Amino acid sequence: MPDTLSIKRVSASSSALIPLESLRSGGPVYSKLVDISKCIGCKGCEVACKEWNDLKVEQTTNFGSFQSHKDLTPNTWLLMRFNEVEDGDDLNWIIKKDACLHCEEPGCLFACPAPGAIVQYQNGIVDFNQDNCIGCQYCVSGCPFDIPRFDKETKTVAKCNMCIDRVESGLEPACVKTCPTNAIEWGIKEDMLAQADKKVERLKQRGYEHAALYNPGGVGGTHMMYVVPHGDRLEDYELPAHPTASPGQLRGLNFLQRIGSYLFGFGIISALVHFLAVGPEIPDENG
Amino acid sequence: MSTPLLRRFSFLERITHWVVGVTFVVLLLSGLAFAYPSLFWLTTFLGGGAAARVLHPQIGALFGVGIVVMFVLWIRDMFLDARDREWLGAIRHYVAHDSEKVPPAGKYNAGQKLFFWVQSLLGIVFVASGLVLWFPEYFSAGLLNTARLLHYAATLGGGLFLIVHVYLGTVAYPGTARGMIDGKVTPAWARLHHPRWSGDRVDH
Ligand code: HEM
Ligand code: SF4
Ligand code: SF4
Repeated sequence: MPDTLSIKRVSASSSALIPLESLRSGGPVYSKLVDISKCIGCKGCEVACKEWNDLKVEQTTNFGSFQSHKDLTPNTWLLMRFNEVEDGDDLNWIIKKDACLHCEEPGCLFACPAPGAIVQYQNGIVDFNQDNCIGCQYCVSGCPFDIPRFDKETKTVAKCNMCIDRVESGLEPACVKTCPTNAIEWGIKEDMLAQADKKVERLKQRGYEHAALYNPGGVGGTHMMYVVPHGDRLEDYELPAHPTASPGQLRGLNFLQRIGSYLFGFGIISALVHFLAVGPEIPDENG
Repeated sequence: MSTPLLRRFSFLERITHWVVGVTFVVLLLSGLAFAYPSLFWLTTFLGGGAAARVLHPQIGALFGVGIVVMFVLWIRDMFLDARDREWLGAIRHYVAHDSEKVPPAGKYNAGQKLFFWVQSLLGIVFVASGLVLWFPEYFSAGLLNTARLLHYAATLGGGLFLIVHVYLGTVAYPGTARGMIDGKVTPAWARLHHPRWSGDRVDH
């Protein structure tokens, strides 16, 4: 079956509420699988990402870490984060691939008010369409992983697009292609889940008893999954233990908006009915 | 026939009211466009989605200034007294246009006074939450999401009150809108709607 770009959800449309599943499901659903225990810290993936996506190079400075950039930016969609965490007498050197996780239930898309600015495809990719972006940055506060970055020049947001143009042509994303140790794998999500099980098992045999797969249910699972050696210490990886695609405030907002549309209609109709019932109260100019 | 007219609102009061009124309506429509995908087309009137997103907070700043000036100009007349409470007790007669049974109102009736306080309070909520949403880079995701909730709650409250306000100020009570346009009302209008205030004026 050819890889198509069938749409699943579009921001600020009915498909944000009811995904276009019944019509177009059935194609391949992909996932990246990141096994950080295999990462040698070469940052080849960062370079490949910049190259393939033609992203502007940014001046970096040494801030006492192995890490290249301090943070993600509109032109840096992938950042290998290096953290030194003390573990009793031991020192853990924690590496994390920081980039969009391509959530199955994308908080960014649910939060976005601009029709068509964020699109989710049936294959699992969540992409921003800057042409339709209005620059409100609601996606930034809607994302539980702090991924989208606002570009002050273009007044739009940007993030990893999973090399959608490569995937569409049957290729793996650039970071996957370049990784010399296979720390980043790519394939059908089900196969990646099976692969992850094996990796977790192997890590456990090596003594990482809390090794786990990070594929959080609060966002319906992700299309970039992590195998984490220390699954009991997600905070060391700066991975939220319970991310959610619809935080309480936004659920409240959606609820208010729904009843609000009825209340506004009710208000206008009430005024009309009142006018028909009692009419205008006209002062008696001769009284 | 030329009855002498009563002066109800000064030029400053009128211009302030219309800065607030016009900016509020533009803000309401562009804000609802962001809240409801089916109304997104309303952003066209401000030059499209991206332009509307830039203009909305700027117009909001003007609204914020207007509401502060309005507050200062009118607060003196807006405290509720004992007769206002009687008025509120008899509100159903007011709604039914049973003017004989409505306790006489002063320059503003109790409903108008409450509208003033509600809009002033909502003004604070609008401006505070709006500032957070205007400069998202300085605030946490949780605070931003809370600001969105509060901003919409204020819209809902302000929008519903506005429907009542516009209805009463225009079609329900002919002669009222003029007070906000050239600042004048007829003595008969004043006797009917604001007897205590008309007494102040007409007797001298
Ligand atoms: C198109 C929209 C509007 C129209 C047609 C309108 C009309 C009027 C009129 C005719 C009056 C004079 C009432 C009187 O003489 O007793 C008035 C007063 C007033 N307006 Fe508006 N107005 C509008 C929008 C607004 C908005 C958006 C606000 C505040 C957010 C506002 C706040 C007030 C207040 C506080 C008063 C004095 C108290 C009262 O009359 O309720 N108005 N308006
Ligand atoms: S990680 Fe953030 S930006 Fe990426 S799909 Fe999930 S919510 Fe959207
Ligand atoms: S910044 Fe753009 S993509 Fe993000 S929520 Fe706003 S319109 Fe949508």
